[in-house]
Amino acid sequence: MKALACARVRVLLEAYVDGDLARTEPETSRAVRDHLVTCADCRRQHEQAVSLPFRMKALRSPAPPASLVAGVMSSIAPQPQASRAAWGLLVPEAVLAAFILWYVSGLDGLTALASGAWSNLQGLAFWGSGTAPLPSIPVADVLLLGAFIALTAIAAYHLSLLAKLDQTATPRLTEHRRA
Amino acid sequence: MLRRWGWPLLVGALALLGVLLAIADTALYGPTLGPYATFLIGPSQAVLVQRPSPDPERFIRTRFPERISFGSPFGRLGTMSPVQALRAFLSNGAGLVLLALAVLLLFPNRARVAVQRLESRHGPEIALAAGVAAFLLALGAVALLRFTLIFLAVIPAVIVVAVAVALFGIACIALALGRLLQRRLHLEPVHPLVPAVAGALIVFDLALIPYLGAVALAAVAIAGLGLAVVTRFGSETGWSFRDLDW
Repeated sequence: MKALACARVRVLLEAYVDGDLARTEPETSRAVRDHLVTCADCRRQHEQAVSLPFRMKALRSPAPPASLVAGVMSSIAPQPQASRAAWGLLVPEAVLAAFILWYVSGLDGLTALASGAWSNLQGLAFWGSGTAPLPSIPVADVLLLGAFIALTAIAAYHLSLLAKLDQTATPRLTEHRRA
Repeated sequence: MLRRWGWPLLVGALALLGVLLAIADTALYGPTLGPYATFLIGPSQAVLVQRPSPDPERFIRTRFPERISFGSPFGRLGTMSPVQALRAFLSNGAGLVLLALAVLLLFPNRARVAVQRLESRHGPEIALAAGVAAFLLALGAVALLRFTLIFLAVIPAVIVVAVAVALFGIACIALALGRLLQRRLHLEPVHPLVPAVAGALIVFDLALIPYLGAVALAAVAIAGLGLAVVTRFGSETGWSFRDLDW
């Protein structure tokens, strides 16, 4: 086989070291070997290439920092502040619900509110069918309305916190399947 | 032997317990029904029947059917005997079990996600707290919608959605209870609907406990509502906009 030039040998050197060249082109591999016998520069390149895997093997994995486990666990654990807020919001909700119950005179008052809403609904349905005039807007007690607005806002915020808490506390199904 | 016949024995025992509790619930409250029975069957009233019994010796000890009649659950359809009341209880139980199975059949993936959340750490507490918050939110929203007049028409939709969502949650809780029994009693793996049937029977039996059943059923329904809300009806991505980011 024709002798190879240095530039060609350096291109083929990696495949030669890995053994790929001997498998795919045995004659070229032999030519590279012959060239390395005669060329000192290419032989030096070859020695460096051969020694690289050994050097990589000799490398030791760096020791993980002592805070690694604690850091990972704290990053995947639910936030304690969010957790506290999620449970703590039950108190203002209970207070507001108790206040509303007291203000409307207990369950009877709530039932009266519900029956009022039902009769308003019926009135609206009759208005829709054209058999009755549009019912008037019920008179709103400002304090009761404020309490209901506060209760709705706190409950919505509470739900958003609980939903986040739940997402951080449990693994996703896709992650479970991937694992 | 016990391992092989564990599931049939368990389901049969739970069903029998339900029948016994239904009998107790119709009988223990004296001349009136308990809160759950009143909710399911309708108000009862004690009446004095003037005409003589066709067979006076038959109810000589209790004379129960002569003293009590039950109002019909669906309007003025007549009175209801204790046997009919028991049948109403049992048909309600069968309806609950069938609805739970239908939900699991229709949304198996969503039910699995929800049950996984429920079985995770603090899952039941989170579901219960979220249920309380969701119930109060629905209550407040309904009260506020009443004052908007036009959006008053949305109130039935809010109630229907809340009931449907709570039903999904109850079905998931039933499945979780069945799986819990399977783990604790070391029962052999069976079709996934069998633990769901056992769990639904547990929920039904809980609801029939005299005096406390209504509270137990309310707690399960609220926890189910919370579970469904917190998992966004068992969605895999939860409350996030990840699905819109593609």
